Amino acid sequence: MNDPLQKSLDEHLADLALDVPPPRNLWPVIARRLERRPRRARPLVFAAAAGVVGACMASALTWAVLHGRPGSPAAPLVARAPTAARAPTAAPAPSFDEPRNANYVAARDSLEVSFRERLALLDPATRAQIEASLAVIRQAHEDIRKALANDPACPVLEQLWQSTWHDELDLYERVVRGTQPTMTRT
Amino acid sequence: MLQIARGMDAAAEPVELIAAAAGGDLVAFEHLYRQFAPRVYGLCLRLTGQREAAEDCTQESFVAAWRALRDFEQRSRFTTWLHRIAVHTVLARRRGLRVQYEVAEPASGLPDVADPGGEAPPLDLERAIARLPEGARHVLVLVGIYGFSHAEAARTLGVAEGTCKAQLHRARGLLAAALGLETSS
Repeated sequence: MNDPLQKSLDEHLADLALDVPPPRNLWPVIARRLERRPRRARPLVFAAAAGVVGACMASALTWAVLHGRPGSPAAPLVARAPTAARAPTAAPAPSFDEPRNANYVAARDSLEVSFRERLALLDPATRAQIEASLAVIRQAHEDIRKALANDPACPVLEQLWQSTWHDELDLYERVVRGTQPTMTRT
Repeated sequence: MLQIARGMDAAAEPVELIAAAAGGDLVAFEHLYRQFAPRVYGLCLRLTGQREAAEDCTQESFVAAWRALRDFEQRSRFTTWLHRIAVHTVLARRRGLRVQYEVAEPASGLPDVADPGGEAPPLDLERAIARLPEGARHVLVLVGIYGFSHAEAARTLGVAEGTCKAQLHRARGLLAAALGLETSS
């Protein structure tokens, strides 16, 4: 980018001030909202957090189901920690906006297809347990979505939102990994 | 290529104010507001292209910052952290989660003088930025003006890093054309 055109444009951009004073004093409105902050927002955050706890438990339960049934086709020979490395498609450094990313959504959809295919191979009881776990995670996600609607810029809610996306992907991946053919294990 | 971290000033962090505000000191938080509001407002104004939306997003950003400050672990600079909150606020507003987002009117709400303390750039530049397609404008504002890295901008905006670079290239091309700079090459 050393051509004169780009250099000239960069000079124009560099001349822009980063700071632009607000045309009016915004502090009084902010201060009023800070005073009533705890009673208004915290219950939503706690409710969403409770949902995430449920989602985490559901995810852990799925792991236990897949790894703890000796007769299950999903039982691996070597147990892994619940936070074992994820497949590349499942760990694209998520953010609050991730579901809007076409690549991310495509990767997630692809993983879900594999999940559905593998789920069909499990016995009905295990399948029902996993479906129940997925329902808990999605309910938590929905609860957080509602909380975000009231407080869209809350970083705590954003973290919870990320957690549920992680949990859903984690569940997909555990099922997919847990149902790998025996010959692939070491 | 403009890749200097303009948004990451070398000035020392107001750590005492941050700590006091994190502990619930409203006066300290007001000092932080006075210090950082122009930066947050400038960012919001250029991202939204509209004064009223920028004012609302600035207010929302500081309310969100107050709520989250107790959990701010200073693993990043306060400015960086505050910028991220501001960008999320703008994007959340855009998604219509909180209020109906008005279509930006490029000719209104822009700063009359971009740099009150220095030599002002042509007003057409601000307007040309506001007229950019939204995706290109967001990337240009974050990377080209406020010094985000492509990785950080991509993560914040929820796009791939390659998309971010492509949008910046597009924005620069459109800006150059809008400003009549294309004939000078």
